[in-house]
Amino acid sequence: MAEKPQTSANFSSVPVILLLGLFSLPLLVMYAYLFIDTISDTEVGSLIPSEFTLRHWSFLWETKTGKPNIWLVTLNTFIFASCITGVILTVSSMAGYVLSRLNVPARGFFLAGVMVLHAFPSVTLIIAIFIVLQWIGLYNSLIGVILVKAAIDLPLGIWLMKGFYDTVPWEIEMAGTVDGASRFTVWRRLVLPQIKPAMMALGLFSFLTGWSEFILPQVLAPGAKVQVLSVYLASLIIDDNNFDFGTFKAVGVFYVVPVLILYVFFQKHLMNIYGGGTKG
Amino acid sequence: MRILLDKFSKSFGSTKVIEDMDLEVGSGEMLALLGPSGCGKSTTLFAVCGIHRPTAGRILFGDRDVTNLPSQERNVGVVFQSYALYPHMTVEENIGFPLMVKRVAAADIKKQVADIAALVHIEDLLGRRPAQLSGGQQQRVALARALIRRPDVLLLDEPLANLDAKLRLEMRSEIRRLQKETGITAILVTHDQVEAMSMCDRIAIMKSGEIVQIATPSQMYNDPRTSFVASFLGNPPISLLKGKAEQGAFVLGENGLRLPLAALSGIPDGTALSLGVRPEHFGTAGGVPVEGRVVFAETQGRENLYDVVLPDGSVLRSIQPVRDDVKPGDSVRWNLDSASTFVFAEDGQRL
Amino acid sequence: MIAPAAVMIFLFFLMPVVLTAIFAMTNMSTATGISGGVWQVTQGAVNRLKADMPELASGIAEPRFVIDEEGLAALEALKLKAGFTAELRTSHMGEVFPSRREAERVIKALKDRPSTREVKQISDLFNRSVLNTRFETRDELMASLKRLGFTLTPAEQETVAKATYTGWVWTTENFRIIANSPDMAQIFLNTAFYVSVTLLVFNVSYALFLAITTHYMPASTASIFRAIWLLPRITPVVIYVLMWKWLTWDSGFISMFMGQFGYPPKNYLLDSAYNAWFFVILINGFIGASMGMLVFSSAIKAIPQAHFHASEVDGASRWQQVRHIILPQLRWPILFVTCYQTLSLLASFNEILLSTRGGPGKATEVWSLAAYHTALQNYTGNLEYGLGAAMALVLVVVGIVLSLIYLRIFRYDTLISKPLIED
Repeated sequence: MAEKPQTSANFSSVPVILLLGLFSLPLLVMYAYLFIDTISDTEVGSLIPSEFTLRHWSFLWETKTGKPNIWLVTLNTFIFASCITGVILTVSSMAGYVLSRLNVPARGFFLAGVMVLHAFPSVTLIIAIFIVLQWIGLYNSLIGVILVKAAIDLPLGIWLMKGFYDTVPWEIEMAGTVDGASRFTVWRRLVLPQIKPAMMALGLFSFLTGWSEFILPQVLAPGAKVQVLSVYLASLIIDDNNFDFGTFKAVGVFYVVPVLILYVFFQKHLMNIYGGGTKG
Repeated sequence: MRILLDKFSKSFGSTKVIEDMDLEVGSGEMLALLGPSGCGKSTTLFAVCGIHRPTAGRILFGDRDVTNLPSQERNVGVVFQSYALYPHMTVEENIGFPLMVKRVAAADIKKQVADIAALVHIEDLLGRRPAQLSGGQQQRVALARALIRRPDVLLLDEPLANLDAKLRLEMRSEIRRLQKETGITAILVTHDQVEAMSMCDRIAIMKSGEIVQIATPSQMYNDPRTSFVASFLGNPPISLLKGKAEQGAFVLGENGLRLPLAALSGIPDGTALSLGVRPEHFGTAGGVPVEGRVVFAETQGRENLYDVVLPDGSVLRSIQPVRDDVKPGDSVRWNLDSASTFVFAEDGQRL
Repeated sequence: MIAPAAVMIFLFFLMPVVLTAIFAMTNMSTATGISGGVWQVTQGAVNRLKADMPELASGIAEPRFVIDEEGLAALEALKLKAGFTAELRTSHMGEVFPSRREAERVIKALKDRPSTREVKQISDLFNRSVLNTRFETRDELMASLKRLGFTLTPAEQETVAKATYTGWVWTTENFRIIANSPDMAQIFLNTAFYVSVTLLVFNVSYALFLAITTHYMPASTASIFRAIWLLPRITPVVIYVLMWKWLTWDSGFISMFMGQFGYPPKNYLLDSAYNAWFFVILINGFIGASMGMLVFSSAIKAIPQAHFHASEVDGASRWQQVRHIILPQLRWPILFVTCYQTLSLLASFNEILLSTRGGPGKATEVWSLAAYHTALQNYTGNLEYGLGAAMALVLVVVGIVLSLIYLRIFRYDTLISKPLIED
């Protein structure tokens, strides 16, 4: 068949589009108002915004009493997410290669272990981790929570990288070894460039999960100096007597926009990883 | 049941695949849609079975206009190239599926499946799953499924493409037998001219979304309307020589071969032409002597095939009963049966 | 090259699993601290002792008056009459009086006749009690008790030591609490309800609905809808829950919307257990549906196009096509998603913590959230690490069992083909 397979003409797509559109309405409304409410005031009892205002965004230039500076928090979040990405990419690109390609002892066992841990609900370990971090003095530090978060996401990273390495043709490596390169050089110079798109996808994914992570920093690093955006926003919502959704949403938009930008540009990469099974 | 395509057009987006096609398949007839890939034959088949709807024109089964009917209401049986057997169902469930979705009683389905299975000789495979069947058996199951609800029309999409050479021969006659026994109107889509010629009553040969010629296999072979048809049919294929008209004769190059032909009377001198010569019409028999040098020889067992280069560089192919006195490099002087040649104008039309 | 991964996974993954089990066998809490403890007769300890040794319990809390060197030195420093000190040292050294009255009678009887005010002043100096004194070792506590006149058998000593120790100790009490407490039973039922309903309705059924409806759309429309339904997973959880809170708040969208029809505004998230569950399941379900949607979509895409065409010419309606062609071929993906998401749902409590915090009351408290509340955040301020770890251990065990099953489903043995280069 020369022409591409088309959707069948036997079933109209109009009813399904209408149906799903209806179901998607609550989500669309929530996201639309997330943005609308940050730049407008709405009178009580009304759904239509009545006036334009920028006052909800004042958190950007005024530090709230008892709260850390927003830019410090943003910097913390960025450091947190970047470090996690760096650790996961480095460690899992090496481990994934070993598991995919090298004859190492207990390879099968290690693979099974990674597999189990990948499905294992790691957040249940948070109590033990909390106590361990207090013992070794990494409680309330970014380093501690970075290491924990990276370790928890590692099995998924290793598993994905192993899968990506599996798709690289063996011939490339065989040619490399025959040409006299060591396995490390083969990995570094020949194999790694092949999986660049995969590294990109995993890197993005790690950055996004790091950027969004809430419960680990909340429990392991709640201090003002090391606060990340999720904890900052949560504390804002929890302790405020005067519920000001406009401000909450402005902080939320400030927090979510980088995520949405990355998502729009790299949707395809991310779909693959999210489809492959993640926690949540 | 007669099938009629009336000014049928189909485009995907802005790509026009078929425009204003007319085609009639007589009741009980088996017609081949033959053409190279991309010619629109599958598109036509998909429109007939209703998976796609025509962009314009009508499709009639008998006197019933089915143009806008969904597949479910057309009563057609289709054998797909990949057979499309449902992997999670047994053979029996596969064959019974068209009846099951019509909510026929289970006992009834069982009986009808048994009957049709006997017809296609797979009675003892009913409990198996498609993955446990050979290619030929899968083919028979697909046929049984297409035939079980006595469709008005049977459509076959490259049904033999996935079989090995021996099975292909067997299924060729098997499908033809079933079609004749059931008296069903059938359309066979294929790119294989041997399949089309051996199985069908008539062939519609297609090129770029148009039907170039419709005829019985022998008519089409002996009386092709264009050089495309002539070169598509026949194995080994026809040789086409480029030359021009000169005083009612076909002339090849400077001082080359000169072939007076009746078809060329009234054609102005110097008109560019091509001459089609089938391999069996160039050899030891025939009237016009042609000299040349053998550049290629191939034995096919019963026959030998030779490529002969003429002094001007064009090549004539010859098929002859086995002989071992000619080797590549030899100069030969063989005869050409000028009455069996075809002359085509530059645009490919037969003169 | 695998070493960094192995070390990190060991340190922050395997060790915590073991430690969770270890902590589960202790009574660690804010009160006991996580390092060692001291021996201290607190009011709590006294209360604990009351059941076994009522006499001792009432005595230990009472003041005792002991004539000792420490008291005499203090008395000398007061510069009262020198005779007081001398006489007390010679005639009464080491005597123990169980009450102030008895001690003061002896002091009053001193030859130098102290005034009433002085009697009170002197007796204060000899007031010795173990109440609230910290002892670094068990022996110090015992010696001190002995001096105060409590003679205890070794068995009694053991009881007292246990009751007064402020550090954590090994115990199986946590598991008894989990097994017997009606609160725990309620939480268990909540969890079962939450996991099964969310899983069935959203993570599987709704995900199937999304995958199938998008399958019947043109590719570009389908990808828009998939992108929309992936948003809840992409959006940071804090913002995502914030949006739901806004939707359900008493001046939020639903209230305002219902207000148009004359309903009074209310907090739809927390006004009743029924509504709280409704939204908790919705909040989690919207996130959970996306994984199933993607897995099922790619499984449907893997079904040859010809199967759909064939079933259509065979006469199947859209529903029959879904029922007989699509669903039977999604059995493995459905099992995969079910298994995977059961684990996620059991363990994740982010969304509930941020939305209802388990409320109203404890209506939406699930197991993992309860473990978190017990060990890491509660209103009384005494964080019970041990009990929390025991609750987490239950999840860890369930997690290990389920992920082993998951491993079998995934047919992991087919994934570990031998490397082709041997070295």
